[in-house]
Amino acid sequence: MIRYQGGSLEAFQEIYAQLAPGVRRYLLHLAAGSEIADDLLQETFLQMHRSRAAYNPNYAVKPWVFGLARNVFLMNRRAARQWAKIHESREDWPEFPVLPEADRLGSQDEIRRGLAHLSPDQVETLLLHHEWGFSFDEIAGMLGITAAAARARASRGMAHLRGALNSLQRVRA
Amino acid sequence: MMERSPRPPEALMRAIAQDLRPVRPSPRPLHLALRMVPLALLVSSVILLAIGPRYDSGILGPLLTWGPSAGQFVLAIALVWIAAHESTPSGKLPRPLLYSAAIAASLLVVFVTLLTFSTSPASEPLLRLPPRVNEMLRTSPWIMGFGCGIGSTLAGGILVLFFSWVFRNSLATRPTAAGALYGAGAGLAINAGWRIACPVSTLWHALGAHGAAIIATVILGALIGRFLGNRRLHFGGRPS
Repeated sequence: MIRYQGGSLEAFQEIYAQLAPGVRRYLLHLAAGSEIADDLLQETFLQMHRSRAAYNPNYAVKPWVFGLARNVFLMNRRAARQWAKIHESREDWPEFPVLPEADRLGSQDEIRRGLAHLSPDQVETLLLHHEWGFSFDEIAGMLGITAAAARARASRGMAHLRGALNSLQRVRA
Repeated sequence: MMERSPRPPEALMRAIAQDLRPVRPSPRPLHLALRMVPLALLVSSVILLAIGPRYDSGILGPLLTWGPSAGQFVLAIALVWIAAHESTPSGKLPRPLLYSAAIAASLLVVFVTLLTFSTSPASEPLLRLPPRVNEMLRTSPWIMGFGCGIGSTLAGGILVLFFSWVFRNSLATRPTAAGALYGAGAGLAINAGWRIACPVSTLWHALGAHGAAIIATVILGALIGRFLGNRRLHFGGRPS
């Protein structure tokens, strides 16, 4: 990032190559699988470029860019007022990530359906921690909550997910 | 599914390549807030340098004259620090802290006003001005209120504009809230100096005129923050 701030195009390409796939999946989660995620991905990196001076090297790059992606999504949602439209299709999330920790609890389809029973806040915290590997401190900085609250959200989310999966498996049996 | 896209699209690359001038990294939120201290101190002292400390500062004593103002100034810088955190995508502070700071700022202004009034309920607008002007201010106290309200709003507005310029690259999710925070910081910083100079400590004047000026700077900061946020994140918006 420091090389990029110094004017290196190659440094930007490296950042993009490393972060774009993860950011895209995060935006897909936020946009509930909507195709708008690809536009938001480009907008995120465009915003990163315009605001590259706002980055402080004391911060880790990955949470900064993910936080920026979240900002872009929220501002876009606010501007376009598409939130309700996006969430109408919650059952149809095609590319919803599956938590590695939850993989042994059931099939991918069951986990997706189980995650749909959780609150959006819990799902987002679970994914940020288990899917993208952010610490609870980093999640707290991205979401504007305390680290303890982030840990509690993830913990409660995982407990609810287990409960939802158990219910689904009982129904299937 | 487009799972891996390691190469940026051409359109994005063109936009990036158009402007690759080196930039200076932003300082940490605390350093950013501390950098604003000298100008905030200067602007908030202008009224004090112009008309001097209030005539009843002997009754209030140095602790009650300068202490609450120092407290307000520190809280003002703390609000700017919180606004700087709010403007960093991965450095946001918990919301309860934001609300606590806003409540603390309001309570501090009310508390200082009540404390000053209970110690010295000065209602005579005695300024270092010709006696005729002082007499006019005494008979028409609304002029004094109007003057304090407009004057401290203008001084606060200057600080808000300066803070807005510093925060022009802000990446706040809630730019209106971030703007309101540094607007409140500007208002508090100005009030810190203004209350030492203003000779009237009645509640209606201190809360009505000085308080209104703080509210005005909060609103001004919120509007500018919102404008900057909208300009930055609208699709197809102009690069800043």
